[in-house]
Amino acid sequence: MSIRMDQIQPTIDREYDYFMSEHPHWSLTKGDQDLELVAHALRVLLHMKTTPQHLSEYLALVDCQHADGGWGKMASNKESAAWVTAFCALMLIRGNLSLKHPRIAEAVKKCARYFLETQKEDGKWSDPSWADLDAVSHPISFFDVLLAVGKHLVDEPTLAKVRASWRKGMKFMLDRQTADGGWYDPEFHPTGVEITAHLIQDSIVADLLLGDEFNVRECCRKGVMKLLSVQAADGSWDGENVDHTMDCTRSIMLVCSVLGMRAQCDRAIERGLEWILKHKCEHGWPDFPGMETNLERTCDGLDTLLKYRAYSQPVTTAIVKLWGYAA
Amino acid sequence: MIFLAKVAEIPDGARKLIQVNGISVALFRHEGQFYALNNACPHRQGPLVRGTLEKTAEGSGCFIRCPMHGWRFDLATGDSRGRPGNATVYPLIRQNDELYIEL
Repeated sequence: MSIRMDQIQPTIDREYDYFMSEHPHWSLTKGDQDLELVAHALRVLLHMKTTPQHLSEYLALVDCQHADGGWGKMASNKESAAWVTAFCALMLIRGNLSLKHPRIAEAVKKCARYFLETQKEDGKWSDPSWADLDAVSHPISFFDVLLAVGKHLVDEPTLAKVRASWRKGMKFMLDRQTADGGWYDPEFHPTGVEITAHLIQDSIVADLLLGDEFNVRECCRKGVMKLLSVQAADGSWDGENVDHTMDCTRSIMLVCSVLGMRAQCDRAIERGLEWILKHKCEHGWPDFPGMETNLERTCDGLDTLLKYRAYSQPVTTAIVKLWGYAA
Repeated sequence: MIFLAKVAEIPDGARKLIQVNGISVALFRHEGQFYALNNACPHRQGPLVRGTLEKTAEGSGCFIRCPMHGWRFDLATGDSRGRPGNATVYPLIRQNDELYIEL
């Protein structure tokens, strides 16, 4: 590894200070917020291991959960949507591993019911703002974590339904991988980069939990190879897209660790990270080089550095934990 | 009416990001026509000025596709074809070799 942690750690420290200085702009304790941003922020707290000091942030998210178990785009929105609900559900189930708060545990049960009740017959979830593959990947990620570390949160009949729903959702995703290893959506993801990065990290857990029931090792290996093949010479992905470059860098870190492909992927990960660091603003990250800093991207940037820190450790489970797939 | 750009600054096929009264306006010139849209995609505020131009199926119009999550908008109307939000399109006025915008 050519990027040393003594180079990365000062950036993590500075960016976390900046992130906390922006607290009024992401905290539900300060008013209505975009819940995707809130979830990004809670993930930073999780990976900085500061969750126990921020119980109020997680309870504020519980407070705006709808009766059906979902959330809307904004905390004040009354209609639930699959994508953002999955983001919130993931942060609550993972946050409660350390918080162990009964209200959060109850909210997680409601999340599980929401997804069981809103899954379509063919295994997908729908959200008009996102591609079907996006809308299915995040609930599957929530079920991944539930099955990995949260089985005790639901009763046996519910757990059986979760397993069945998870299998249907996984099948929906895996059936749509193309021969080149990528996933595409003509409306939302014509290049297939971001969705491929998401789906390999969501499906790899099948290998970890169920002994490769869906032959995901090969699916994920092909997905990683697809991402490696479309990385630009400068280290970025998808036309210097900071978000998608962070997605790819993080996803490859996880999947190559699980599949034992680090030797093939180390250099691509480093090039991705070098590009990400090169295009940082004074504080935080933009959506594209040259743009103003953006709080959601800043959360992604911090998360990428924290995952690289875990990736740099010799134990594979260090990075697996940062997806919530292991306690 | 606010001055936006000189026509010569935007050759056909080009685009430019211009700040007007604190608003980021993405100016496009496509097949001789000028279009001005708010640069922030209504989905997740992706920069439309970095998007991909695509012809409509019938070939008479053009879409701009957001580079973040792929939402597409009619350049002339901002219509997103059924997504829960449209792009904001600003009326443009051409006076000789200058373009003006009404916000």
